[in-house]
Amino acid sequence: MASERELSDFLKSVEKRAFKRSVYHVRNDEAALDIVQDSMMKLVEHYGHKPVEELPMLFQRILSNCTLDWFRRQKTRNALFSNLSDFETDELDGDFDLLEALDTSEGTTQTESAEKLTERAQVLHAIEQEIQELPPRQREAFLMRYWEDLDVAETAAAMGCSEGSVKTHCSRAVQALSKALKAKGIRL
Amino acid sequence: MKHSTPHSDPFLQDRYGRAVAARLSEAADTLPYDISERLRAAREQALDLHRSFKPAEQANVIAQGGAASLSLGGGDGGLWHRLAGLVPLLLLIAGLIAVNLLDDEFLAQDLAEIDAAILTDDLPPAAYTDPGFVQFLKSRLEQNQ
Repeated sequence: MASERELSDFLKSVEKRAFKRSVYHVRNDEAALDIVQDSMMKLVEHYGHKPVEELPMLFQRILSNCTLDWFRRQKTRNALFSNLSDFETDELDGDFDLLEALDTSEGTTQTESAEKLTERAQVLHAIEQEIQELPPRQREAFLMRYWEDLDVAETAAAMGCSEGSVKTHCSRAVQALSKALKAKGIRL
Repeated sequence: MKHSTPHSDPFLQDRYGRAVAARLSEAADTLPYDISERLRAAREQALDLHRSFKPAEQANVIAQGGAASLSLGGGDGGLWHRLAGLVPLLLLIAGLIAVNLLDDEFLAQDLAEIDAAILTDDLPPAAYTDPGFVQFLKSRLEQNQ
């Protein structure tokens, strides 16, 4: 069973990436925060007794499910309140613009020149944009595999698909990203 | 920055994927203060929930211990609880049988006493079948009243 300390360290280590991952999916800071919080609560509530080694994969799966739930709720809500859809769309776009502004406002390190900071922020912004442009399953597989550092089997288990599908999704995601970033003159 | 163009080579694909992920980590590490604080608050809330589970589990253990002592330490108590539920019913049936037997016994005793009284009386039992003697008893009863 994971101790409180281990659980705290684990959540601390994943919370920021989980937030960014959710933002890439839902494109809304508030919704992403809610999703991360829900995921944390569910992890503790249902799997708090599990060994700490099992937590990363469980958390990724819970996060994916919470994100899917959010999309389902949005779909239902949009269907029910279609007359308010214009207003809601404006709100989402506003938040997305804010996120972009936040991303480009980072970099307070005074040792780097302003030019370099701007360049880094622009590259990062372009990468994030391209990540958001990926199809959802490709983005999910790519982020779990390379960002969360899960292996192919763990990613497949977390996504509920075969290892072959994970490899295909990752391969296509890398191809799409490299092509898009190369077209913008960004080389990694 | 080193240039890599991933094609179908899995090694190059992995390398490119990790390079992109490294850039994403930079963004995640420099989240705005308010977002970081809200994430910290969410984490604290989750840990509070974790803490709240512990006393509940302890209380559960204590309750189970009490139940075990009441059921004579019989494991999870499933069979014992069912048997214990039958005891009052068995006692009720045994009580009804005992009452019935005692009632029969008292009735038999009463009849035996009447028989004994008739048989030990000076008057022979055959006298009660004589219509004249019955008429004599009735007229004597009327005179007494």
